[in-house]
Amino acid sequence: MDVFGVFAQFWPELLSGVGITIKLAGLGAIIAGFLAPLLALVRVNGGPAAQVPLRFYISFMRGTPLLAQMFLIYYGSGQFRPFLQDIGLWNFFREPFNCALLAFVMNSTAYQTEILRGGIMGVPHGEIEAGKAVGMSYVMSLRRVVFPHAYRIAWPALGNEIILLIKASALASVVTVFDLMGQTRAIFQKTFDFSVYIWAAVLYLCLTAAFVWIWRRFEHRLSPHIHGKRPSLLGAMTKRETA
Amino acid sequence: MAEAVVLKAEDICKSFGSLEVLKGITLEARNHDVISILGSSGSGKSTFLRCLNMLDPPTSGKVSVHGEEIVVKNGHPADMRQVERARQRLGMVFQQFNLWTHRTAIENVMEGPIHVLKQPKAEVKERAEALLVRVGLAERMNMYPSQLSGGQQQRVAIARALCMEPDAILFDEPTSALDPELVGEVLRVMQSLAAEGRTMIVVTHEMSFARDVSTEVVFMHKGKIAEQGPPKEMFGSPKTEVFQKFIADVR
Ligand SMILES: Nc1ncnc2c1ncn2[C@@H]1O[C@H](COP(=O)(O)OP(=O)(O)OP(=O)(O)O)[C@@H](O)[C@H]1O
Ligand SMILES: [Mg+2]
Repeated sequence: MDVFGVFAQFWPELLSGVGITIKLAGLGAIIAGFLAPLLALVRVNGGPAAQVPLRFYISFMRGTPLLAQMFLIYYGSGQFRPFLQDIGLWNFFREPFNCALLAFVMNSTAYQTEILRGGIMGVPHGEIEAGKAVGMSYVMSLRRVVFPHAYRIAWPALGNEIILLIKASALASVVTVFDLMGQTRAIFQKTFDFSVYIWAAVLYLCLTAAFVWIWRRFEHRLSPHIHGKRPSLLGAMTKRETA
Repeated sequence: MAEAVVLKAEDICKSFGSLEVLKGITLEARNHDVISILGSSGSGKSTFLRCLNMLDPPTSGKVSVHGEEIVVKNGHPADMRQVERARQRLGMVFQQFNLWTHRTAIENVMEGPIHVLKQPKAEVKERAEALLVRVGLAERMNMYPSQLSGGQQQRVAIARALCMEPDAILFDEPTSALDPELVGEVLRVMQSLAAEGRTMIVVTHEMSFARDVSTEVVFMHKGKIAEQGPPKEMFGSPKTEVFQKFIADVR
């Protein structure tokens, strides 16, 4: 076992793995982040025709293992290869990265939707009425009152969800994506030096720590009215993240 | 010469399910009128006020702003654009202030004129600052609602309504959520608005305001107007038994 030797020899591979991990978790979180507010609105205001399938989708995504979801997409798409070729989607599903990304997007969308739904429900009714009373349209009150407030409420929970996603992205290595975990496993198979896993842990820790730092900077900028008065909320967030 | 009618409500009825809350209310607010609405809890005062700006559209009856009827079909406004235009002309001040907590005092005041009326920011900022100075909040413009007392928040809410330059302002018990020592500062602002001729409809439990500031008093009882008139007459010689009892109880 040569802790520093392994790093000195394989750091380019490890860093390229970090790049793929950032790309995978980042794209997953961002794409889900665009879908979630729309679905959250449906969850709050939608009729039963939209609610029922959406709730089924969310229950499925939250109630089954992410690994199983990824396998379903990765191996499932292989089964339907001729069909996917016919409709021109095979090029997408041929790439393991895309399969993993799709699984992460679908999974994180479900979680982010529920988190944002909670945020929207937490916006005081009176603030929405105040928007109506100055003559805001529905869309404007969403843009100027509901979502700005809902995101402030949901921000810490969304941060937690993204941290979970960063860590869960390691699952992609199982379907041959060379993310940080994929590279680490490959290096271990070459060297049988388990200390490469220590480096993987250190790098994951750096990733999540950097993310937490950035996320909190935004939190402070978004909600000075909370952080000016109640620093204890920050303490609560730290506890949940390390749990 | 009679002043122009700003706001007119004709035979307003409102039910929530089988509960009939308003049973035919007719009221007219002319320019510079200050109308106080009194009545015991549950008599439908808030509901009536909320019918006027369609936060709760009436079940039947007609609301017109500057002579333009707001069309309501099956309990829903037919044209939301029309309702939005009417709301821009009618300010509203709520019992619980309802400031946008993620915005500072001055941002609350500037929000409507900039985003709803699309007025130039510099012009709005100047007006908002002047209004906040006027309600005594020169030092607190950049504070968040959570950093302000109830009385200060309510004064921001009044400035927010004023900055839209409305034709009339609706107040729903603006001082009821306040500690007694903070009531005076809000009433003084409202009094100064009345003095400059603002058209106001005020649901209140403050008898002194109704008696000394308003031009007309309306007493509501069980969803109807039981008695109505100039404050001197109303308080000098109340005609109905229910209103006599009401003022006796308040004292
Ligand atoms: N959204 C609603 N759904 C069902 N019932 C309602 C609703 N809003 C008001 N009511 C009922 O209508 C009646 C009149 O309510 P309203 O709030 O207008 O009374 P109020 O005169 O303003 O009383 P207060 O002085 O307590 O504010 C009450 O019985 C109330 O329970
Ligand atoms: Mg009321």
